[in-house]
Amino acid sequence: MLEIKHTTIRTLSILGQRGAFGYALNELAKENEQIIALTSDLRTTSGLDRFNNAYPERVINVGIAEQNMIGIASGLSTLGFVPFATTFANFASLRACEQMRHHMGYMRENIKIVGFGGGFAMGMFGITHYGIEDVSSIRSIPNIAILSPADSLETVKATIAAAQHKGPVYLRLTGVMNQPMVYKEDYDYEIGKAVQLRDGTDIAIFATGGMVHQSLQAAEQLDKTGISCKVVNVHTIIPIDKQAIMNSLGVKLLVTVEEHSRIGGLGSTVAEVLTELDEKPPQLLIGVSNEYKPAGSYEYMLEQYGLNFMSITEKIIKRYGEVK
Amino acid sequence: MTNLEKYTNVFVETFEVDASEATGLAYQSILAWDSVGHMSLIAAIEDAFDIMMDTDDIIDLSSFEKGKELLAKYDVEF
Amino acid sequence: MISADKIERCQIASLNMRKNILHLAHQAGSNGAHLGPALSIVEIMAVLYLQIMNIRPFDPIWPLRDRFILSKGHGALGYYVALFESGLISKDALYTYEINGGSFSGQPSKDLSLGIEYSGGSLGLGLSYGAGIALAARRKKELFQTYVLMGDGEVNEGSVWETVMFAKHNDLSNLTAIIDRNSMQSDGSCEDIIRIDMEAAWRGFGWDVITCDGHNISELLQTFPNDRTNGPRVIIANTVKGKGISFMENSKDWHHNRLTDDLYQKALCELDEAGGVSVGN
Repeated sequence: MLEIKHTTIRTLSILGQRGAFGYALNELAKENEQIIALTSDLRTTSGLDRFNNAYPERVINVGIAEQNMIGIASGLSTLGFVPFATTFANFASLRACEQMRHHMGYMRENIKIVGFGGGFAMGMFGITHYGIEDVSSIRSIPNIAILSPADSLETVKATIAAAQHKGPVYLRLTGVMNQPMVYKEDYDYEIGKAVQLRDGTDIAIFATGGMVHQSLQAAEQLDKTGISCKVVNVHTIIPIDKQAIMNSLGVKLLVTVEEHSRIGGLGSTVAEVLTELDEKPPQLLIGVSNEYKPAGSYEYMLEQYGLNFMSITEKIIKRYGEVK
Repeated sequence: MTNLEKYTNVFVETFEVDASEATGLAYQSILAWDSVGHMSLIAAIEDAFDIMMDTDDIIDLSSFEKGKELLAKYDVEF
Repeated sequence: MISADKIERCQIASLNMRKNILHLAHQAGSNGAHLGPALSIVEIMAVLYLQIMNIRPFDPIWPLRDRFILSKGHGALGYYVALFESGLISKDALYTYEINGGSFSGQPSKDLSLGIEYSGGSLGLGLSYGAGIALAARRKKELFQTYVLMGDGEVNEGSVWETVMFAKHNDLSNLTAIIDRNSMQSDGSCEDIIRIDMEAAWRGFGWDVITCDGHNISELLQTFPNDRTNGPRVIIANTVKGKGISFMENSKDWHHNRLTDDLYQKALCELDEAGGVSVGN
């Protein structure tokens, strides 16, 4: 299908995850007539301009009406369309939470919801646009796969996988334009199979979305202090890759990192797996603390919540000192 | 190949235009130079000159001419 | 001119449906049932499933079938008995109503093999689904109709109006909304809870609005056929909650209630005496 040259990967990273999604959808649409995009008056913001130029009749703008958007996508899917409905992560998962539950969880319609602005990507748009409770809002709804790509190339692969997946999907996009590349080369992507990016024996970091790159940098810092650190990219939060967790039980500290509330996201998902085990390492759960802080740029917000690689490194060193 | 030839060639290949057309191009002046085209252009420029551009410069590179100015920052002389 | 035997067929079906509704509600015992909301839609369901809708009882997933979405999921009893009358389900299946873990629970769960198109229960969501189906049908150039039945209280939900705007903007002429206007909702009369001018509201959003007597079979038979091309329409059917059983009519107590042995017998007698409820011309 699409040729992944290294300049393509770089192009995608400059575009950021939203643009990468639009790029992927455009490629998918060339080969599959059933692909349809829905937007709630956010076509440009969703990265769908090129798709719209190529296939204007395949973009349905429902206006500022997220709840209706999900119902329409659901109805469309009953006749074989593969709808991708896009909006901000917050509005999909909170404003239209029940619609997600009803159409995706209960009726299991084959629709894909793309929530962009996960984490603090929206910067100065402020708190209303920070997608930091989206995963926790929908995680307890059965039957919804929750995908959280680490970089733009992975976003393309996740979009393609979502289209092929038979069943409802929530695709959570994080980060801003010029998002750092985690993958510099093409690789095999499979929904539900976490990817070990780095090996290590003292600590295992399970990270997702934009926090994967931060965690890789943290691991390098830890390396310099003599701490051997594994990094696992959890690109699928639900269904969680239990085997990947089981493979890391021998470390002295298991860390989870997410650009999402500490409550109910990746950390909680991993904790739920660990809680069933008799022997397990302690878990350090790094995420967004349970408070709203005044808005700022993306980088500023990461700093405020201790989610840049320096803060992550510090937190890990401190906790590791206590448990090793 | 001079830097100018290299630079012009990037535009020629990315947007499939002649060298003479390339010099007058600006963002959105042709269909191919949309937001995705822009990113492809940047990636190709970076690849050609073995550099990594800052986000601000990526956004500011709004025309062939402007690009030449911006690349000075990355020690690319024309 | 509607033929007399079509009307009669629907009348006989309506009587059977009411008897079955009572039987099943009684069988449900302490679980209780949404009797009032089921009884008000009987004629609408009879006319749709026996005369109007293009369906194949022995092929419930026939792709070109007309779609019916019961958005007011609490009308389930009125819906299940229509599925039986049309031949889509057997009497044995129907009589598993409200059996624990069964396929015919208090509010319908989507199961195309049983002719159940949509999972109802949460109000305000069905019109959106129906509009999506109607839009898909148009895109695939398929000619089937989509009907969405809602309650008048149900339109309190803002999500309904998102779809109302969308459907008009997209000229969904193959979409028909039906309002079971029995003028009551759970806590009492609609007038007392949220008062709107129903016709004006829909008309304001550009829909074609038709008002009719929801218990008059002849009127329903004349109203439903749809060869329009100018956008979506709503049929506001004036009905009586609990229609056909005197002590249930217009009573908020019978939105959902238990049907005891005594009351069951009393209700059955009323039906037998009336010998059929709605009189069409």
